[in-house]
Amino acid sequence: MRLANILGGLAAVLLFPNLVLASESLPQRWVSSGGALSEWVVVLGGERKLVGVDTTSRHPVSLTQLPSVGYQRQLAAEGILALRPDLLLGSEEMGPPPVLEQLAAAGVHIERLTARAELHSLQANLQRLGQLLGDEAGAQRAFADYQARLQTQQQWVEQAQRSQEAPGVLLLLGHAGGSPLVGGVDTAADWLINRAGGRNLASHSGYKALSSEALLALDPQVVVVADRALEGDAARRALLQQNPALAGTRAAREGRLLALDPTLLVGGLGPRVPDGLAMLAAGFYPASQPLTAEAKREP
Amino acid sequence: MIPTLSTRPLFIALGLLLMLVLWLSLALGPVNLPLGDTLRAALRLLGLPLATDDAVQQAELILAQIRMPRTLLGLAVGTVLALCGVAMQGLFRNPLADPGLVGVSSGAALGAAVAIVGGAAFGGLPEAFAPYLLSLCAFAGGLLVTALVYRLGRRDGQIHVATMLLAGIALTALAGAAIGLFTYLADDATLRTLTFWNLGSLNGASYARLWPLLLATLAVALWLPRRARALNALLLGESEARHLGFDIERVKRELVFCTALGVGAAVAAAGLIGFIGLVVPHLMRLLVGPDHRLLLPASALAGASLLLLADLVARLALAPAELPIGIVTALIGAPFFLYLLLRGRH
Repeated sequence: MRLANILGGLAAVLLFPNLVLASESLPQRWVSSGGALSEWVVVLGGERKLVGVDTTSRHPVSLTQLPSVGYQRQLAAEGILALRPDLLLGSEEMGPPPVLEQLAAAGVHIERLTARAELHSLQANLQRLGQLLGDEAGAQRAFADYQARLQTQQQWVEQAQRSQEAPGVLLLLGHAGGSPLVGGVDTAADWLINRAGGRNLASHSGYKALSSEALLALDPQVVVVADRALEGDAARRALLQQNPALAGTRAAREGRLLALDPTLLVGGLGPRVPDGLAMLAAGFYPASQPLTAEAKREP
Repeated sequence: MIPTLSTRPLFIALGLLLMLVLWLSLALGPVNLPLGDTLRAALRLLGLPLATDDAVQQAELILAQIRMPRTLLGLAVGTVLALCGVAMQGLFRNPLADPGLVGVSSGAALGAAVAIVGGAAFGGLPEAFAPYLLSLCAFAGGLLVTALVYRLGRRDGQIHVATMLLAGIALTALAGAAIGLFTYLADDATLRTLTFWNLGSLNGASYARLWPLLLATLAVALWLPRRARALNALLLGESEARHLGFDIERVKRELVFCTALGVGAAVAAAGLIGFIGLVVPHLMRLLVGPDHRLLLPASALAGASLLLLADLVARLALAPAELPIGIVTALIGAPFFLYLLLRGRH
């Protein structure tokens, strides 16, 4: 009886992939592409269902143990079919289109969500993930919690700004050696800086390399370096040695270099964004008591 | 035209190799299909009324929708790149010539960069047209730059091959600068698309994209062998070939046009795939000698086999992910080229 249900459901998924999924026909084998989306699947309790992820899905670390289907824009049709997935999850960056067509023709349900860094997009994404995972209430709770944490963060920033001036910030997309790229006005970097209460000093669009002189002229009070390797004083000293212009800024003189996980900058709003914001804000407003784990839980 | 006694076994071997590789390309992939199912599915696709079940149906789907177009694409791209390589080495009388010399590759790369980075600006295009924008731009770019190189190499109604070669180098550099500018303007995501395109891939082959390339390949494969004697005469030098009674200006024009058409279509369908056009003619010249009547068909067979083998590596090495095929052909091609170079010294 149950087996018949499952088989029937499976057939329905295969034949009518665009229908709203009934609870007994939930997709059981997922391939997820897009770091933030994969993280949300894990947060919402769907990690067991993942059979493959793309190269941008590196959080939590357990995901790196799964078979990799390559870069999300260069998926391979047969490679994904070899994992026998019911569902391929991804953002609008997922591609190339002919491969998605082939996968759809082979009966894989393609679920394309948006990677835009906006709260209402996130709400729609979580709602859809909740449906697909069969836990809509859990997805709703997760979103409410997320929203509450961002609100708390905002209040904290407003509170801090009463006593301290908003610092001028630059975010560098670091790589050792060459000149780092600076996050401009229309980037996720800009969004994070503003949400954490800083002023992005860069006025260009996208990520562009700035000359040493331009960097000195902007004279940031805080420099955020998006580089996982920047842990500890030795790494910071090495960074300043490689970029003498950076060493001349106010941020370096006052020791206000913050390291940020670069994966927070891609793929839209992931579950770790509030943590990243709290960390940045604490660095921007050192005189205020940082948001603790307990404070985070308060609505 | 008839292979001599000494080369006949070689052609039989090359033919058998291609057959084998074609079969491997259909039978192997990340999805592990049992040999029996693959065979039955292949026979059913050929129209034999065999019994079917779920497993055979899955095999049929994968064969017909994924592996078959991909194999045909590899066959066409490998053939046309190798043939055009022979044509260019014959035209420039230089074993280092490859189809890129007349600017078709760099022109196509520039067209692709325009399409990838500027694609958003073409937002108003009809929906049906958008998926082909990249291929069309690459093809048009290749043709345009080649036409320009050809035009620059012409003086008093004659094509000066040396001038054309230098013009090709200059325009390649110019196109490189323009691509660099687009790279600078690109955001992270388009940058990666551009990088991957430059490494080539047979991934996502579909029949709709295949037909133009198949036609171009057929045209080149039928036309170039008709000019084999003229290419042989060109080996002696242009004036000698002219004295032998060949209409050299026309032959040169045809060779450049064939290369622009063939390589342009190949690059538009599969991105930039290096080394096939350079290494395969070389290798075949060692085996069959410099006679273009033998060299052209041998290169076509070997080019297709080599490209399909490289694609097998590309799709199996990191499965379920995929390696760009340009990496594989360069990994095979570059050491082999070095080997040829060092061997020639002794």
